[in-house]
Amino acid sequence: MGHDTKNALQILKSVANNPQSYIANWKEKNSLPVIGIFPMNFPVEIIAATGALPVIIQDSKEPISEGNSLLAEFYCGYTRSIADQAAKGMLDIFDAFMNADHCIQLLGSVDVVRELLPDKPVYFEHLIAAMDDSWTKTQVQEKIEAFIIEAERVTGQPISDEALLACIQSNNKNRQLLRNIFAARRNGDAQFSPAELQAMIVSSMIMDKNEHSALLESVLADAVAKPRDQRIRLHLSGHFCHAPRVELFELLEDCGAVIVDDDLYTGARYISTDTKESMPPRMALADWYFARNETIPCPTRVQKTVDWDSYLLNALDNSGAEGVIVVMAKFCEAHMFYYPELRKTLNTHNIPHLLIETEHEGMPVETIRTRVEAMIERIRRKSPTRQITQESA
Amino acid sequence: MSSATPSSVNRLKSNDAGRHMIADYWDRIFTANERDAQLVWYNGAALNPIFQAAGLEWAHGEAFAARLSAQKLEKSAQLAAQEYGYVGELCSYARTHLGTALLARQAKEKYSKGIVDDAERDDLASRLPMPNFIVNCYAGCSTGQQWDEITHRILGKETPIFNVSLPFLWSNRPDAGYLKGQEWEEASDYVAAQLYKLIDFIEVQTGRPFDWDALRQGMKYIKEASEIRREAMAMCANLPAPATFWDWIASVAHINFLPAGPELVEYFSNIRDEISHRVASGESAIKDEKYRLYFDGIMNWNKLGTLARVFAERKVAIVAGRYTHNAFWQEPQLIDTDDPIRGMAQHYLLCPTNHGFQTIKHFTKHDCELYGLDGIVFHSTRTCRAFTGPQQMLAKAMQKEMGLPSIFFEGDVADESFYKGELLESRLEAMLETIDVRRSRDFIASSASNA
Ligand code: SF4
Ligand code: SF4
Repeated sequence: MGHDTKNALQILKSVANNPQSYIANWKEKNSLPVIGIFPMNFPVEIIAATGALPVIIQDSKEPISEGNSLLAEFYCGYTRSIADQAAKGMLDIFDAFMNADHCIQLLGSVDVVRELLPDKPVYFEHLIAAMDDSWTKTQVQEKIEAFIIEAERVTGQPISDEALLACIQSNNKNRQLLRNIFAARRNGDAQFSPAELQAMIVSSMIMDKNEHSALLESVLADAVAKPRDQRIRLHLSGHFCHAPRVELFELLEDCGAVIVDDDLYTGARYISTDTKESMPPRMALADWYFARNETIPCPTRVQKTVDWDSYLLNALDNSGAEGVIVVMAKFCEAHMFYYPELRKTLNTHNIPHLLIETEHEGMPVETIRTRVEAMIERIRRKSPTRQITQESA
Repeated sequence: MSSATPSSVNRLKSNDAGRHMIADYWDRIFTANERDAQLVWYNGAALNPIFQAAGLEWAHGEAFAARLSAQKLEKSAQLAAQEYGYVGELCSYARTHLGTALLARQAKEKYSKGIVDDAERDDLASRLPMPNFIVNCYAGCSTGQQWDEITHRILGKETPIFNVSLPFLWSNRPDAGYLKGQEWEEASDYVAAQLYKLIDFIEVQTGRPFDWDALRQGMKYIKEASEIRREAMAMCANLPAPATFWDWIASVAHINFLPAGPELVEYFSNIRDEISHRVASGESAIKDEKYRLYFDGIMNWNKLGTLARVFAERKVAIVAGRYTHNAFWQEPQLIDTDDPIRGMAQHYLLCPTNHGFQTIKHFTKHDCELYGLDGIVFHSTRTCRAFTGPQQMLAKAMQKEMGLPSIFFEGDVADESFYKGELLESRLEAMLETIDVRRSRDFIASSASNA
């Protein structure tokens, strides 16, 4: 790994770890607004087309204190962290907020932001979750138009189709670069650790996309493929709206596993789908909403024609993953609903899997370690080639 | 020999008299297959007048979970759900109902193999027949829509399903508010248009034209019943309260999903007349009413009797609540009985969890003022994030803006393991002491100013 690569990677990691400082610098340099975006379906190109910076708001690693007296303790960690950040002034840096997702817990936390920061616009348009209905497309198109009007209002900048297209192109390029890196991992390249991949994704959610892509290119210019070793290959699945703690990745690797693919939101899900450049840009943004759910189905959406479980089987085929770790943010209802469907499919196909619930604070490391080790042992016993390798080792 | 302590709860007799209506309704559901009737499973909004006009039987998911829970018969369904893999933190209405879906599927499979399981036949949770189709129309809570999507999946994806999408009333624009503004008008039109599509879908499922006259007639009864219900509720501003929240809870089923007809109107007329009689004679719903409180949260169906007693024994009349007073055809003036669809759409949007915090605060303040309340009890409903979302902010705002104290207690809609009775009682007593202290301070202050 050359000097530039290390440097560029270091910058991405530091942005991912400290978004506030990047945002403050960006604001000072550009004198333009920064808009806080709530996950997972808002098309950020709308904001970028005004010249403002769209930032997908991250879970803070700071322990939740005040957030617990604003939302019930049985709200997911991400939403309580949002409330906590709002109460502690950590969201003051944003000039406005936008949300397109109707998870009732997310809406609860966005309402807290609206109450605690009454001078900032907090805008919500409900991108209808029922994807199959004949009227959903028109409705989503209308909501995209409404977001565009609001973005123009809060930034004072008109949005042209040309500007939208340029932002679509830069977001697509960014996604493609990241997808290449993820594809390399799937195909056996282990040069980047899971924590580094997460830093690349999280920093992309925060940074100006052209700047981010330039750094990624610099990382890739010096990249040297490193063949993955013979550890047990795992797929990580789920974990919506925010990143799982990297300690979990380290623990899995410690137990003798290597992560070869994922469908995490702060992973393959975020970069799964490009916005069509051949379509008129406003239509393309609406189309992206539907296309993403076709690429990697999400249980927060309602769509008869796609199945997350079928997607997962296919992904396992592609990556050669031998087992699945379902990572569920505690209290995430959409995920709780869908988990039994995944479990049923994985059981039917005799694929070892494990459910790990994550909490905002604290990880029961030893309990997780024991369960992961047991699962890895099961995989070893299941595979004759694995047994031979083990015996001859 | 000790004699039983007379109950401090003076329940409405007319409610007891109307209880058979609920049992009759469920009997019709359980016998739907035998009668070759088409059955629709639905969740959320009160679409029943549409189903009734279409000649269908309708089984409301939450209602069935609530019924099982109130009768303490929910365990077999919840066990089936747990075995299937649902985590205990999932909405317990959904968990219980998905359990019944699994049991219904199992029963049907056995039946097709000619197996008759007596134990199963006697288990109420196993008696819900499989639906001919599913309709989802859930406001406020994203869980509601995901729940039916999963029901559809676990029934094998063959059962047709129709989704009515209800936009959340967030209040983006300055003109937005309760029943007003562009957002409200646009959402009303959007939902109304979907209801017409729903009726097209039902026509396909039933193979017969929809009976619009029957819908108009049904909505006439519902409008009348609702007007009477609101009139009766308003009489509870009287001191002492002639009826309480628990009486309104006992009539939720009637207003929410029982058939629209003269019997429904008569039932609410009887309630109104009994309340009116109590007002005239000074009869109180609880013995020696001393405190008047508001209940925020969805119902804890496992603990109905317990909760009613806990409050009554402390001379507390729970007079109003978000669940009872801001739901269930609560704005009957919106219904145009000649052309009912838009007014129905508006009611579906008016679910008490489908508003931003400011609107919820608006109607809570309104009710606390109207009914002259001293404080608020928040049912922190463990698996219902929709109701609990705004509660902590609401408690703070009501204290700050109206000086109203509040307490929180933990429980759940249909999972009694979350109920913490002792905490409720100690917190309640502490709040009543606060109210006493405030009253004596106010008394001293007013005596001083009169002196
Ligand atoms: S993690 Fe789950 S529960 Fe939390 S905001 Fe996201 S979708 Fe909602
Ligand atoms: S969480 Fe509450 S509002 Fe949502 S589906 Fe369950 S009971 Fe209904």
